[in-house]
Amino acid sequence: MNPVAGALSREATQVAVGDTLPMLTRSITQDMIDAYAEATGDFNPIHVDPEYSKSGPFGRTIAHGLMTLAFVAQMLNEWSDGRFDESGEVDIAFVGPVFVGDTVEVTGSVDQIVDRDGIASARVKLTCRAGERQILAGHALQPIENGKS
Amino acid sequence: MSTYRRYDEVAVGDVYPAEPLTFDVSAEVVDGFLSATGNDGLLYRELGGTRRAPSMIASAYLIDLLIARRSPPGGIHAKQSIRFHRPIEVGEKLSIQGTVVEKYVRKERSYVVSSFEARGADGTLVSSGHITSIWGKDL
Repeated sequence: MNPVAGALSREATQVAVGDTLPMLTRSITQDMIDAYAEATGDFNPIHVDPEYSKSGPFGRTIAHGLMTLAFVAQMLNEWSDGRFDESGEVDIAFVGPVFVGDTVEVTGSVDQIVDRDGIASARVKLTCRAGERQILAGHALQPIENGKS
Repeated sequence: MSTYRRYDEVAVGDVYPAEPLTFDVSAEVVDGFLSATGNDGLLYRELGGTRRAPSMIASAYLIDLLIARRSPPGGIHAKQSIRFHRPIEVGEKLSIQGTVVEKYVRKERSYVVSSFEARGADGTLVSSGHITSIWGKDL
């Protein structure tokens, strides 16, 4: 077993259909996008080159989709006390761009308890918006035991 | 000659790179990722001589994988599925490889779907999933 597994102290949380997950908020700047590019090595000009992006589909730079997904993972870890890192799963589509100046809000709600490989798991409908714009759509799965995440 | 692949050169079944690429989960990479995403890293502080890394450090190794695919700049990440099979810790060395599993054109956009797996040095599965990309304009 990986030595990190189970090393964290967690408070178990009862999980039920209808539960609302915590909201995580991030304000997006070009500096943040540039820092993310540095951290991940993704220097696609659509993210980091304002001149190039003027002729692209959005007319300006957009944040990396995986950066938004990192916010989702952070929110899911806060909710599950780190268990998402161990056994979580997401399946999403990036349906709208994130621009500099946007405030991204990420949350979710448990819409089903399902079986995954014989383990009861919470299916979380994800919500990710910048104002009224939807940024991504999809679900997360988080195995639970005895009704706890 | 362009170092990028043209869309018509991509085929279902293509494995990339030919040999799995390696990715070092270094403290520097983890710290940069946490800082860039505004994560205070409470989960990722050293504990008992080990330090956990965020699962979504996958963002970094998946980019390495996509670069290995040699797709042209300007592409868009359309969909992502990823399942984490175990936690990872700072200092691990991962191996990642992808396979093209589907190609299609929709609304004049060229899509490529790839599956991928990331494994630890001991061969255990760390993450797996699918990436759906809109191919950038051929150069």
